[in-house]
Amino acid sequence: MTLFDAHTITQVLAAALIGGIIGLDRTALGQFMISQPVVAGPLTGWLLGDVTAGLVIGGTLELIWVLDMPIGTFVPADSTVAAVAATAIAALGSTTPGQLPVIGFCLLLTVAMVPVTMFADHLMRQRNAQIPELAMTSSGRPTEASVTFWHFGGTVAFFLKAFLLCLALVPAGLVLVSGFLALPDAVHRAMSLFITFLPLLGAASVARKLSMNTLDRTLLIGFVIGAVSVQLFHVPELVAIMLAAGGGWMGMRFHGA
Amino acid sequence: MAHNAAAIRTVDLLGVFWRSFFIQASWSYDRMQSLGFAFTLIPVLRRLYPDREEFAGRLAVHMEYFNTQPYLASFVLGAAARAEEDRATGRNVAADVVELKKTLMAPLGALGDSFFWGSLKPFAASAAVAVLLTGAWWAPLLFLVLYNIVHVGLRLSLVFVGYETEGDVVVLMSRYNFTRLARRYKVLSLAIVGCIVGTLSAWGPEFRTSVPVFPPLLAAAGLVLTLGMIALLRVGASPVKLMLGLAAACLILALGGFA
Repeated sequence: MTLFDAHTITQVLAAALIGGIIGLDRTALGQFMISQPVVAGPLTGWLLGDVTAGLVIGGTLELIWVLDMPIGTFVPADSTVAAVAATAIAALGSTTPGQLPVIGFCLLLTVAMVPVTMFADHLMRQRNAQIPELAMTSSGRPTEASVTFWHFGGTVAFFLKAFLLCLALVPAGLVLVSGFLALPDAVHRAMSLFITFLPLLGAASVARKLSMNTLDRTLLIGFVIGAVSVQLFHVPELVAIMLAAGGGWMGMRFHGA
Repeated sequence: MAHNAAAIRTVDLLGVFWRSFFIQASWSYDRMQSLGFAFTLIPVLRRLYPDREEFAGRLAVHMEYFNTQPYLASFVLGAAARAEEDRATGRNVAADVVELKKTLMAPLGALGDSFFWGSLKPFAASAAVAVLLTGAWWAPLLFLVLYNIVHVGLRLSLVFVGYETEGDVVVLMSRYNFTRLARRYKVLSLAIVGCIVGTLSAWGPEFRTSVPVFPPLLAAAGLVLTLGMIALLRVGASPVKLMLGLAAACLILALGGFA
């Protein structure tokens, strides 16, 4: 079987379309946060037939990039394209759904995607600068129709940015995954282990941005409650999460935040 | 200018609310949300200025540079609608809507960035990821619900609050204590993130290590690793560099037969 048969090409186009549509939510339309990796990843995985890949990739990337904020003119790394492209590569490049070594490798590939997505975003926003001038009619004044038309014209640029990025990144990733599959088993085991460590990096990224202290009291309260309730009292994890949140809340009430 | 313009109706403000979801459709570096602001205010301008020339003139006024946090833009939109109404109906013909927008956009931008991007989003994300790590497929839905109840609710109410208060930030701050709310979301996020690390041994099978380790030891190792990475991030390491470092460490462990 060739790497890019008709079925795969169709799937790549579908992935690019998904990326383009979900990418609109990131800035241009709504901002309901469907574009956040924790949603975009599973949605892409579900549409391409590998929900596990989407859940793992989305959940992992979410905490790592969640506090990379779009403040003023700063455009952060496009975690949406990274999540969609990585999920699509994992879904289309795996021999079976939920293949953890491939998912881990795809997460590693997002490292290379980050600067590409930031550059593309920068270019696109520069191009959008001419839109307000275009909305002026020949009389030098805007009309409702011209403002509406050119304003929504901007969404085309946002769509194309994510669509074209996915269209380029997914096939490139598939080539790399086919090479990865031929590597020794130890490398595959390494990528499975990589998945275990990444949520800890996400936790560290969030804690770093939310607290001034490395040994933050609330972080440690949450850790102790989580560890003790699950390991000592065998409490279900969901209950442990609520207990930890409650513990953090109590700590804030009694000691101030 | 005719001073017998009709007053703004609730449906006009609802139109502004609906359009506010598209305020950044043409976001660009130099004018940012300028065209978006004009587009969003169209239902109000259409109501107040039936004369085409006057409508076009007011539309052009709102195409000036504008940028704020996109959700809190609703408050400025409500305030601008009120100022336009005051001007059009003759209640206050000197109402300077441009100055009003300039005054409001910077503080609301800082406030909104800190509240929505810096506290609400990490809270919803931490909760969703904590749930996802247990293997629950509905974690993305939890994220969307936690985030959008606040986001959409505020976007709607702020259009009306901005209109009623004529853009009075003091009233806004007393009605919604964003600073206190942000602090609470941050505390909850940190507690949940701590819990994520503490429950490492109970994560779903996709995230669980295949290496047999005594669970309390695993949790302790997870905490040490997390605190180490926080320290590295604090001295300037980037998440990308740490990802590469973790991948290299995993490779060494696997080649050494520890994975």
